Amino acid sequence: MDRSLFRLTPSGSTGLIFAALCFAFLPMLAGSYWLSVLTSAVIFAMATSGVAFMYARLGMVSLTQVGLMGIGGWVMLRLNYLFDWPFEVNMVLAALATMICGWILALPALRMRGLYLALVTLMAAGGLEILFATYQFPNGGEGFWGVKIGSSDPFRRPWLAQTPEAYLRYCIVIATLGFLFIEGHRRLFPGRAWALIRRSEAAAMAAGVNVTLYKTWAFGIAGAIAGASGALLAGSLGLLDDGTFRASESIMLFALAIVGGARFWLGAVIAAVLFRILPGLLNTWGVDTDLALVIFGAGLLHALITAPNGIAGQIHDLVARLRGGKP
Amino acid sequence: MTRGSWVNWGVYAALMAGIWLALAGGMPFKVTGMFLASGLAIGSLYALGGIGMVVLYRASGVLNFSAGAAGAAGAMTAWQLVQWGLWPPLAWVGCIAVALALTLAYGRYLAPLLAWRETVVKAVATLGFALIILGLVSFIWIDDPRSLELPTDQIGIVLFGLRVTATRLMAFAAAIAIVIGIWAFLGRTEIGLQMRAVANARDLSALLGIPIRRVETIAWGISGLLAGFTGLMFANLIRLEPVVITFMVIPSIAAALAGRLNSLSLVLVGGLSMGVIESLLTLSPVLKGVRPIAPFVIAALVLLWSQRGTRLTFGGRD
Repeated sequence: MDRSLFRLTPSGSTGLIFAALCFAFLPMLAGSYWLSVLTSAVIFAMATSGVAFMYARLGMVSLTQVGLMGIGGWVMLRLNYLFDWPFEVNMVLAALATMICGWILALPALRMRGLYLALVTLMAAGGLEILFATYQFPNGGEGFWGVKIGSSDPFRRPWLAQTPEAYLRYCIVIATLGFLFIEGHRRLFPGRAWALIRRSEAAAMAAGVNVTLYKTWAFGIAGAIAGASGALLAGSLGLLDDGTFRASESIMLFALAIVGGARFWLGAVIAAVLFRILPGLLNTWGVDTDLALVIFGAGLLHALITAPNGIAGQIHDLVARLRGGKP
Repeated sequence: MTRGSWVNWGVYAALMAGIWLALAGGMPFKVTGMFLASGLAIGSLYALGGIGMVVLYRASGVLNFSAGAAGAAGAMTAWQLVQWGLWPPLAWVGCIAVALALTLAYGRYLAPLLAWRETVVKAVATLGFALIILGLVSFIWIDDPRSLELPTDQIGIVLFGLRVTATRLMAFAAAIAIVIGIWAFLGRTEIGLQMRAVANARDLSALLGIPIRRVETIAWGISGLLAGFTGLMFANLIRLEPVVITFMVIPSIAAALAGRLNSLSLVLVGGLSMGVIESLLTLSPVLKGVRPIAPFVIAALVLLWSQRGTRLTFGGRD
C-alpha cells in the first residue's frame, strides 16, 4: 500500500474541515425549504465531482451526468418498492447499475476522443431525457415500470436519517466519501495512468499503459458517483420528476463544473451552489431566476477564456499568494 | 461524389423504407402519407439546423451550440414586432437580422480568443453564449403561451392526394435549396475555395495568405442567417418557447452527426430520415411514446459505424 495515499494536503484538510463544519452547522441554519435545497446542493456537488474529475484528469467531456443520476434514481425507487432491503443496499445497487451504464456509454470512448466523445454523451443524454419522460419514475405502481396515477407510496429513508436534518447530514457524509473515493483513485496507480494519458496519449501507450482500460475505468467511477447521487436525490424527495433529468441540465452541470474549477473539490461545491442555491436565493430576493443563466454563461466564457482553473483555481492562487508562496 | 457517399445515402433510404414497410405496410397511403409529410417537415428543420452547424464547423472548427439560442432570440423579436403592429414580413427579416447580429458578434469578438484551443473547448464556449442569450430572452419575455403565424399556414397544397400546408413545403424546399446553394458557393466561388482551405488546414491557409478572419466571419454570417431562418421555422412549426427552440440544437447536432460533421448532402438526407422515422414511429404501439428518441439513436449508430475499425492511436487531431 502506498504511504502517500493517506497524506493530508492543505487543500484536503481544508476540505475535510469544511465538510465537518457543514455537517455540524448547516442543518441548524435552515428552515424546511432551505433544508431541501441544501440537501440537493450537496447531492449535486457529489455528482459534479464525477464530471469534473473526468474533465480535469482525462480531458473527457461527459454531457450526460444528470442523465446517469436519473438511472441511479430510477433503480433506487424501483428497488425500494420491490423489496424490503435497507436504503444502503439499494443505494449501492443503484450505484453499481449506473456504473454498468457508464461502461456501456464508455464503449464509444474506446474509439473516440474530444468533440466526438462529448457528442456521443450528448446523444445519450437526449435519449435518456425521452425515456424518463415516457416511462416516468416508479412510485409504487404495478409492473416493471411501477408507475401509478395519484400520490406515491411512502419511500423508506435510511434508519440513521429519518428527519430532514439528519438526512442532510447523511448526504454530507456520503458526498465526502464520494470525494475521498475519487481522490483515493487519483493517488493510486489509476491516477498515475490518468496523469500520463492527460499529458500525452502517445506517451502513455508507449509506456505500456492500457489507455482503453483506464478511460473506461474513469467512466465507471463517474457513473457510480452519479448513480449514488441519483439514489440520494430519490431519498431526499421520496419521488423523482423527469424534469430534473433533462439533457439541458447535464449540459448545465458540466458548464458549472468548469466555472467552479474542475481540478478542485471546492470547484464542485461552487458549481453545486450556483446550480441549486443561487436560483433559490434569487427567488427569495425577488430577482428573476432567468438571470442566473446569464451569470452561468458569462462565468463559463470567462473561465474558458481567462481562468482555466475556474473560481476555485483563482481562490487557490489567491491563498497561495497570501501565504507568500508562488501562485 | 464518391462511391462511399452513395452507400451512405442508400443506407438512409433503406432505413426509411424498411421502417415504412414494417409500420405502415398495410395501411392506406391517405393515413400514412400524413405522417410522412409531417416527418419530412420536422426532418427539414433538423437538417436546416444541422447544415448551419456543419458549414460553420468546417470553416472554423466551432460546433455552435448557440445557434438555437440565436434563433430563439430572433423568433421572440419577430413575435414582439408583430405584436407592435409591424408589417409581418419586416418582422421575419428582424428575426433573421437578430440571429445574424448575435452570431456575428460572437464569431467576430469572442471566437477568435479561443481559436487555437481544442475543438471541444470551442464548442463548450458557445454553450456559455447560448446560456447568456437564453437567460436574457427568458428574462425579457416571461413564460406565456405564444405563437408565431405565417401566412403560408393558411395555404394548403394538394400533393399525391394529401393536403400539405405551404409552411411545411417551404421548410422542405428551403432545406434542399440551401444545400444546393451552399454546395455551389463552396465549389464555385473564391471565398468558397478559401473556406474549404481553412477547413482543411487552418495554419497552412494562414501561411498561404488567406484572410482567415474574413473567411471565418463569412462562415459565421452564413450560420447566423441559417440560425435565424431555422428559429423562425421552429417557432412556427413546433413551438414558440425560448427554451424549446434553444435546445432544438440537440437534434440538430444529431442531424449534423448523420453527415459526420462534414457532408452537407448527408446532413440533409440524414436529417430528413430522422424526421420521417420519428414521425412513422407514431404508428407503432410499442415505440409510440419514445419516438423523439429516433434522432439520437440514429446519430449514435452513425457515429459508432463511422468510427468502426479505427482505434485510439497516437495523437493527431480529433
